[in-house]
Amino acid sequence: MKTLAFAGALTCSLLAGTALTPVQAADMTHERALNVSKEPHNWLLHHGNYEGWRFSQLKQINTENVKNLRVAFTVALGGYESGGRYKHGNLQATPIVEDGMMYVTDGWGSVYAIDVAGGKKGLIKWKFDPGTDRAWAGDVACCGVNNRGVALWKDKIISISLDGRLFSLNKATGEMVWERKVADPAIAETLTLAPLVVRDLAIVGSAGGEFGIRGWIDATDLNTGKQAWRTFTIPGAGEPGNETWKDGKERWKHGGASVWETATYDPESDTFYQGIGNAGPDWDPEYRPGDNKWAASVLALSATDGKIKWGYQYTPNDPYDFDEISEHPIINAKVNGEDRKLVVHAARNGFYYALDRTNGSFVTGKQYVDQLNWTPGLDPKTGRPLNYNPNTDVQEYAPGSHSSRAKPTSDRLCPSHYGGKNWEPGAYNPELNLLYIPSIEGCNTVETVEQKDFVDQGGPIKPRERFAGGAGKPTERLYGSLKALDPATGETKVRLKLEYPNYSGALATAGNLVFLGHYDGSFTAHDAKSLQELWSFNMGTGINAPAVTYSVNGKQYVAVLVGSRQALNVWQHAPELKNTATASMLYVFEQQ
Amino acid sequence: MNFATTISIVLLLAAGSIPAQAQAPLSPEEARALEYGKEIYKVKANCQFCHKWDASGDTGYGGIALSLRKTALTPEQFAEVVKCGRPGTAMPYHDQFAYTDKRCYGVTRAELGKDAPLLGESLQPREVDAVVKYLYAKAVGRGPATYEDCVDFWGQDTRQCEPMKK
Repeated sequence: MKTLAFAGALTCSLLAGTALTPVQAADMTHERALNVSKEPHNWLLHHGNYEGWRFSQLKQINTENVKNLRVAFTVALGGYESGGRYKHGNLQATPIVEDGMMYVTDGWGSVYAIDVAGGKKGLIKWKFDPGTDRAWAGDVACCGVNNRGVALWKDKIISISLDGRLFSLNKATGEMVWERKVADPAIAETLTLAPLVVRDLAIVGSAGGEFGIRGWIDATDLNTGKQAWRTFTIPGAGEPGNETWKDGKERWKHGGASVWETATYDPESDTFYQGIGNAGPDWDPEYRPGDNKWAASVLALSATDGKIKWGYQYTPNDPYDFDEISEHPIINAKVNGEDRKLVVHAARNGFYYALDRTNGSFVTGKQYVDQLNWTPGLDPKTGRPLNYNPNTDVQEYAPGSHSSRAKPTSDRLCPSHYGGKNWEPGAYNPELNLLYIPSIEGCNTVETVEQKDFVDQGGPIKPRERFAGGAGKPTERLYGSLKALDPATGETKVRLKLEYPNYSGALATAGNLVFLGHYDGSFTAHDAKSLQELWSFNMGTGINAPAVTYSVNGKQYVAVLVGSRQALNVWQHAPELKNTATASMLYVFEQQ
Repeated sequence: MNFATTISIVLLLAAGSIPAQAQAPLSPEEARALEYGKEIYKVKANCQFCHKWDASGDTGYGGIALSLRKTALTPEQFAEVVKCGRPGTAMPYHDQFAYTDKRCYGVTRAELGKDAPLLGESLQPREVDAVVKYLYAKAVGRGPATYEDCVDFWGQDTRQCEPMKK
């Protein structure tokens, strides 16, 4: 054995020494995924760890020296081509970094394997372009040409494309081993999220809530490339929860409840916590009387078989478009002196929630946005909106905060229908016990247009047609916040007002820093306790992606994907950004 | 200034003036001009995001956008809406100097207050002209779009038009 191991090591070092042969990282195993804290130099999972913390133990870059951060190198990427309804693709991916190799995606699903080991430049070793049908997929993407990143599994990279395919790629070469059609754009299903890999399963979900899909979560067996299980997020006829669709016309078949951000996972109970999107049509709740489970909810599911263990709905019969797809961090905390196993969520509806993750019971909830007017608060026992009426099928939340068929334009809705917080992930520093919430602050209005039925229900709406029952309307300039919350109580400990709503997400480090990207191209580092800005660098184009940190050869780096021209609804109210150009870049920073 | 009234009058005045569809084959120059207008509609000004590729109107994240196929505006009035937007709605203006003086509907931004439209992609007059020509050649006054219209818009290299195949 020893001789063999020595021979193997020698061969490896010889191969590593040649320019033509890639350095082989170890296989990504379940064991490694459970123990990412043993590899603080890497960023192996989408959210940093299964718990969804986006926290790095690295502290070479810290509050004392972050002022010396400078650009180490940049890499130009692609993927900004137009397609479907979109003028350009966006970069939203969280980089995965393993032993000096970085894996990122662009909006059209190309995967880039970038050798960052030298620290002086990023060399794209291979690129895999899935050849996405841009018009077909881009025409049914609600909100942009997006792809939030890859996952590692064994010696493979697992990636997705907007047109619904899941790929297994050779990690060393980028050669496709297999692809599986998971989502079907013919019925407006698309994929945008980074796969969650648990053991040998890749778990994804379908976007398309604005186009009349019925959402699902799907697992692919990575050994075979075949489906392991699929669970619909809207229960079918006869299943518990289906009775919350009271229209009597089977409108649950097109009821939305999409999925487009990676779940968190608790290995102790083999449960993953998946945030679920809003019900469709978004702004015509009279079309879908009832609570509309499990839209605007979190589902706790078995990773092994996809069975629903419990669900918790945040905004029943949601008339606002309050998707709750964003991350649900797993945190253990003392609540009123008692040790509790929590799953927490900064919701798009403007409230922070802590639930008991063993059974879905409500523990605590608190408003975290500056302005909230759709309900006076949450029931302290159940967490339901205080103005929720169990005896009505179409909820009447605060008058004027939503539109209806009788009153097609709402008054001011706070937070705006964008949230709160959208998919852009927060971060948790376990050493300080602070949860960082980057948020969208401000208000807007929403409008209702009576929704017509789908063709399979006798109506004129064909698959792939918009199914929104109205629209949101920007009426005032939105702004942003970075807030530090106590996860046990939801109390906001520190708040920092930001000039722009946050559409990038946060990174927390043991160097007591929080990194954040901004609309105007600023990339900032904040003191984790005071949130005071300690460092800033402007990239000259918008940032829509969360940052990560890693180290190679003992040196820490911070990396973020950069480059977007912000959407019309953003720069309409921020005219100083109207001439911003799109780009597609990786920026990597180091300490001077 | 009641803009809604003004628009209603414009719409009423324009009723019945739906132009006849072009019948003669296009010259190469005319075809080039339509392609240019299509590209502005499709990509540069991204009109299709809200109005849909076939200009039949839509709801959703773009706002509530009218059907351009059913518009009763004359090309001149239509061009004015492209340049000036529609106050009080989500239809943006595309002349970046609109409302800095009285070139649009005789009003300034200050006079419109919160009803002032928002800025879309800036277009030069020749681009406005091209997108209007394109829409009046391909969409305005026509019935529902066909498979051929779809292929004309999206090309042959996509599955986008398959559901419309007869």
